[in-house]
Amino acid sequence: MKIIRQKELLSWLDNIAGEQKLIAPTLVAKTVLYRPVKDSSQIQWDHTLPVLSAKEALFPPTERLLTIEKTQGEIQLTENLPQGKQVLFGIRPCDVQGILALDALFLDTEPQDDYYAQRRKDTTLVGMACEEMKETCFCTSLGSSPHDATGMDIMLTKVASGYAVKVLTDKGADLLQDLELDPFEGELPDPPQPIQNVPNPESIPWAEHFEDVFWEETAERCLSCRMCAYVCPVCRCFDVRDELLADQEHLKKFERIRAWDSCMREDYRTIAGGHNPREEKKARLRNRILCKFLYYPEQYGVMACTGCGRCIDACPVNIDLAEIISTMAQGERV
Amino acid sequence: MGTYEPKIIAFLCTWCSYTGADSAGTARLKSPWNVRAIRVPCSGRVSPELVLRAFDQGADGVIVLGCHIGECHYETGNHRAAKRIPILKSLLEFVGLEPDRLRLDWVSASEGERFANIVTQFTEDVRALGPIHWKEEDRESSDLSPTFDISLRSNGGEQPPEIPMDWEKATQEIRDTARTLLANQEVDCVIGYEVGPRGWTRPAFVHNPDDVDRLVWNPHCTHNLTRYLREKASGNGEEEKRVAVVVKPCDSKSLNVLLGNNKFTADQIHTIGMICPGIQEGAGFGNGDSATLQERCLHCGERIPLVYDTLIGDPQSVPDFEVSPRGDILESWSGLEPAQRMEFWLSQFDRCIRCYACRDACPVCDCSPCLYERDDSLWTGMNISLDQKRTFHLGRAYHLAGRCVGCNECVRVCPMDIPINLLNEKLNQEIQSAFDYHPGFNTLPSPLTTVLDQEN
Repeated sequence: MKIIRQKELLSWLDNIAGEQKLIAPTLVAKTVLYRPVKDSSQIQWDHTLPVLSAKEALFPPTERLLTIEKTQGEIQLTENLPQGKQVLFGIRPCDVQGILALDALFLDTEPQDDYYAQRRKDTTLVGMACEEMKETCFCTSLGSSPHDATGMDIMLTKVASGYAVKVLTDKGADLLQDLELDPFEGELPDPPQPIQNVPNPESIPWAEHFEDVFWEETAERCLSCRMCAYVCPVCRCFDVRDELLADQEHLKKFERIRAWDSCMREDYRTIAGGHNPREEKKARLRNRILCKFLYYPEQYGVMACTGCGRCIDACPVNIDLAEIISTMAQGERV
Repeated sequence: MGTYEPKIIAFLCTWCSYTGADSAGTARLKSPWNVRAIRVPCSGRVSPELVLRAFDQGADGVIVLGCHIGECHYETGNHRAAKRIPILKSLLEFVGLEPDRLRLDWVSASEGERFANIVTQFTEDVRALGPIHWKEEDRESSDLSPTFDISLRSNGGEQPPEIPMDWEKATQEIRDTARTLLANQEVDCVIGYEVGPRGWTRPAFVHNPDDVDRLVWNPHCTHNLTRYLREKASGNGEEEKRVAVVVKPCDSKSLNVLLGNNKFTADQIHTIGMICPGIQEGAGFGNGDSATLQERCLHCGERIPLVYDTLIGDPQSVPDFEVSPRGDILESWSGLEPAQRMEFWLSQFDRCIRCYACRDACPVCDCSPCLYERDDSLWTGMNISLDQKRTFHLGRAYHLAGRCVGCNECVRVCPMDIPINLLNEKLNQEIQSAFDYHPGFNTLPSPLTTVLDQEN
């Protein structure tokens, strides 16, 4: 391990920002978000976790997949693959866990998603260990930790004299190659401890809870908004649609876009003919939670939750994932 | 910009203005070719969505022409245009559209000359403004960080008096009322508040008299529970359901709006009204411990619900008082240029993720399906992009004009801290000054849905 001092770190980041897109936690109005920054002065250092996860850097809220141009008798398709390298700086361990869970679907399962794969290849993850866990954090219940470096290219941990640097991949080494860093001597701080005690969801027989009355009781106050899915680092449902860009006599131009979607909205599951098998709020809530801990692990081998607690922080009516896990761990109620 | 020719969309009533345009042609009067005429059955048919859509599609100016008041083919169709278009215009001005880009006027079938004069003048006014920078692709800069400060909080002014409240006693009274109502089968469900295991206050639904001890009354009871009435009290063609709902004074206003919109009948609802000393900042989330009252409560003139079947708390404890309105916030905008207003609002909408929580938490925003969520992208696309986000927010704000009671749930639930309530406050201010109408104080319909008064 090496040590990087604050001044070296800032000039290194400024250099990166000059060469490629630098995405880092930054203050936008009153909210901390992972957003592109022009230089290191825009980075927010003092925070626990951005309101939105880092998934939008790899899986943007809306992206144009194709441009479709229709002239007399001819249709031309142009693929819009993403271009350009980017560095995600200051990403928290739970968000990297989220990216690994997205990899399981978009990269490791055929067919690979070309748009995600291109961005993933062009992205370097420079992580930052958490100095504290907020009230709603429970990454430790899912086998991760506030100091977990799994999946990062470089991991930084704040120490008295600067940041301890752990290089984990060749991609990380490349980004640091021009820097001469002193070796880190000393002890890393102990990771912070969780404030709440949440059982490991893997220990719960989720399939046996399908008819639990808890779903109905909890979903009754759900607003059916999309917030929990949109702040989640792993929720990745999307919708694809062709939308008209120009309608002229000799040219019709469309774009094929995909945009985030959420299984919590009322019409998400409506099919042709108007039937909606998940019309009830309890069915939608159950589906979202079972997707995280039962369906996704079955299909892709990883849980679709990282314990970041964002859905708990954001939910306007306190639908509380930690409470759901804790209650289910106590056994089924019918 | 010598080659700039403005694109003008003209919505023309087929009975008067369209014929008026014909008269202009027959009389060989010149009118600018920039005008693209869209023939509509009545100026009242020109919904605000159409005007917004025209700007979203690249119009530099939009003009709506109808029959003179009193001459409408449908008698009062143009009354709607006369009420709605000016309100829409005030909204668009508030978010940075130059006022000269939208105009409403009247042209009769025989007034060919008037038609030519109006559209010529309008075209020249829009030409003088130069190209519109409405769409994202037409804007010169993509940097969205406003270079000026805007106050989002009122100066305070006259503070409301402190109302003594025995929270435990009131909690007990809610439980007793709920138990009686459920035990006597007067209602199927009581909608109130509970405290979750994390200590956060949240909505609660009690169906069983043995379960009423979950219910609480505390300074964090922020949610507007009338939002749930559309699910719990709607008849759905089946037997009408009866529910009890705990309301604060602000919530009682939205109950009035819903009753005025005939969403359900008053005898379906047992209203448990609470004397309200105000709700604390951060309520409903983990940071609800601050002793500061919410901004909306500092400017709320009601401490006693406007409607109730059961009243909990002591109305004698509420003195006569006045609060300063929040108008000073809007006044601070008057010095801003249109470009600055647009810069401000785009920087706000930019953060929106279209999670729709503002809409879904709103007690009176209840169209199904929402206009902006249609599969056919009729009014706006599904992109989570700046243009579409603005269309959603402006359309929603307009739909709430004369219906928003200022409970501010939209702002509380927004994960991105977007001050969308300002849009609603602006429109309510316009509606108050134009029609002396205060949403929620009675069950009368919004003036935007009625005809002009005789004297107008």
